[in-house]
Amino acid sequence: MTDTPKENPKAAGHVHYQGRMHALQKEIITRWYKELHGVWQRQQASNAVPLPGSGATGAVPLMISGNCVELLQAFDLLPVYPEINALQLAIRKKALEYLLKAEDMGYSTDNCGYVKADMAFYLEGAETAQGTRIPKPSLILNNFVGCNTYIKWFEHLAHFTKAPLFTLDIPFLQGEEPDAGQIKYVADQLKDLIRLLEKVSGRSFDIDRLREILKLSARSEELWSAIKMTAKNNPSPYEAFFDATTMMGPLYVSRGTPEGVRFFEEALREMEEKVRLGVGAVAKERFRVVVEAPPPYPYFKAFRDLFNTWGACSVASTYSCVGGTFEFGFRHDPRDPLNSIARHMLVHNVCNRNYIQRYDQILRYIKEWNADALIIHSVKSCRLFSAGHGDMREFFTSKGIPTLYVESDLEDPRYYSPAQMRNRFDAFFEALEHKKYSTKGAGV
Amino acid sequence: MKDRLVAGIDLGAGSTKVVLLAADRSVLGQARSKTRADFVGLTDGLLDEVLKPLGLTRRDISYIATTGLGRYAVPARNIQITEITCGARGAWFLFPDTTCILDIGSQSSRAIRVGEKGRVKEFKTNEKCASGSGGFLEKAAKYLEITVDEMGTLSLTSSDPREISSVCAVLAESEIISNVSDGYKIEDIVRGIHDSLADRALTLIRRVGIGTSLTFIGGVARQEGMISTVQAKLGIQVNVPEEPEYVCALGAALFALERLKAAEAVSAKTA
Repeated sequence: MTDTPKENPKAAGHVHYQGRMHALQKEIITRWYKELHGVWQRQQASNAVPLPGSGATGAVPLMISGNCVELLQAFDLLPVYPEINALQLAIRKKALEYLLKAEDMGYSTDNCGYVKADMAFYLEGAETAQGTRIPKPSLILNNFVGCNTYIKWFEHLAHFTKAPLFTLDIPFLQGEEPDAGQIKYVADQLKDLIRLLEKVSGRSFDIDRLREILKLSARSEELWSAIKMTAKNNPSPYEAFFDATTMMGPLYVSRGTPEGVRFFEEALREMEEKVRLGVGAVAKERFRVVVEAPPPYPYFKAFRDLFNTWGACSVASTYSCVGGTFEFGFRHDPRDPLNSIARHMLVHNVCNRNYIQRYDQILRYIKEWNADALIIHSVKSCRLFSAGHGDMREFFTSKGIPTLYVESDLEDPRYYSPAQMRNRFDAFFEALEHKKYSTKGAGV
Repeated sequence: MKDRLVAGIDLGAGSTKVVLLAADRSVLGQARSKTRADFVGLTDGLLDEVLKPLGLTRRDISYIATTGLGRYAVPARNIQITEITCGARGAWFLFPDTTCILDIGSQSSRAIRVGEKGRVKEFKTNEKCASGSGGFLEKAAKYLEITVDEMGTLSLTSSDPREISSVCAVLAESEIISNVSDGYKIEDIVRGIHDSLADRALTLIRRVGIGTSLTFIGGVARQEGMISTVQAKLGIQVNVPEEPEYVCALGAALFALERLKAAEAVSAKTA
């Protein structure tokens, strides 16, 4: 036998993906869960929903997409993101037991995996993946943005927890921009919400405090955008799908706080240093890809390995824009707080935008971030995110952009088939390798 | 390069195939066996089966390429390549006019659109359901109390094909049993099964586009009734290799040869 002429990257095995940014993210998320646990402990002591006192005045579940966390922070209310709870369970391989419990309760196998894991988790009164507890909600904020499953999800949550429910009705964006009536419609609802938040928190609304929070949010958004822009470098210092997912926690939990700003400053410094040193997010960048839709959290690392073994770096992703399409310029505006929050919820997050806008966004990524291909990970139990992915694949293929379409789930490990998934990735990159690196007689 | 030999190993879900190739791309030997858990023992045994009659040993093999779902499980490999890429290369080698390949194996079925030199342009596979693949035929044969090989020609004699409408292999089995108990002829039921498999395959083919010439590979391409059904539904003549189950292993061996030549060219340049 001869020696292997070219060691196939797929034989490289598992890789650890940990930088300073990951450690800081862990600190922020751990602290957030501890704060929630603190509220839970006070609830246990007083056997009642806590009202004014030191620290957080209570906890409010809300949806990630186009969230208005700044309003909660203005009342010292802690956000609870059921999606983060669910994905944390999935990433730690604990989702299936809750999914099965939810199905025992009567939820269909076709229901959203996040809903099932979260509802079973709440009703069990279980510990989070961090070993902490989630407090009883002071209010349930149904900031329905692009996902109507949330309406039923939070109605269930309100039914079982007996907490008050407030639904923010955000019209789905059909054209390019919302009209003035739609902005006023949302801003007026925000005023109603503020009155309710005053009641549940026991605090008076202070517009100047909200302006300060929005100022910090705008700064976090500026830094987050700058981080995304570093991925235009070759090699990209930033993995704009997997690492972006890691960074989304701080973006949603603490973007309107000094801690959030510090996190993004540190993360940007890390990326700029990598650019200076010419260090890529993957050891040897061979392919630059754009990723559409969420990752399969139960197989998060295994899925990342599929990219890494081919030297594929995600240079942009739509999923990292669920909370906001900040890289295209939107910033919360402290000078016009409520209209600015309304505009964010209506138009500057990926879920509330129409499909043509998503196509345009991906095309910009391909062009401006100089990507070789698009990878679509369609999510079985989220038809709202995934409906239309077949057409999307056809659209980008017709534009001459190599496009891989794979399907599993963001929460349910039963939908992930490791051998089949690897086969499809390998076959796709084998063809892409030929297209990009063909050498006479030796290409696959 | 003259005396160099290479091997392609296809570790499929149902069976494992080995092809030994000479430098002039002629096939020196081939062997296959049912896939079992001991991948190393299995592939060693098959390689010996091919080498011994030729008076050769493992030392005579200069490069091994593996393919199939077990392609990562052979430590002696030099490279592993998916069966999609290998099937395309093997089919194109045998039928250079091929524009599309239908590959139906034990658990997988896939359509592959190829371009110049058999390069993969696009592919579509079954993902988590094996109802359109060979494993389904094995189950059906069991319920019909015939062999899979017998099924291959039996459906050609059908005069009144039964319709097997379920898209689920398990539910389709219930339909088959129901047809048997209702007294329908076995050949008509088998024809219904081939029609059902062909319909699933055609869905995949339409997604990638057939082009001008289809080559049918994989173990199911041994079923004459299936070939006849696919041809009838597409209205074209389909290329079928003499030994369709070996095409992916052949493709792997062809890649092995190319890689070896490229490596030796690099060595010669740097020497």
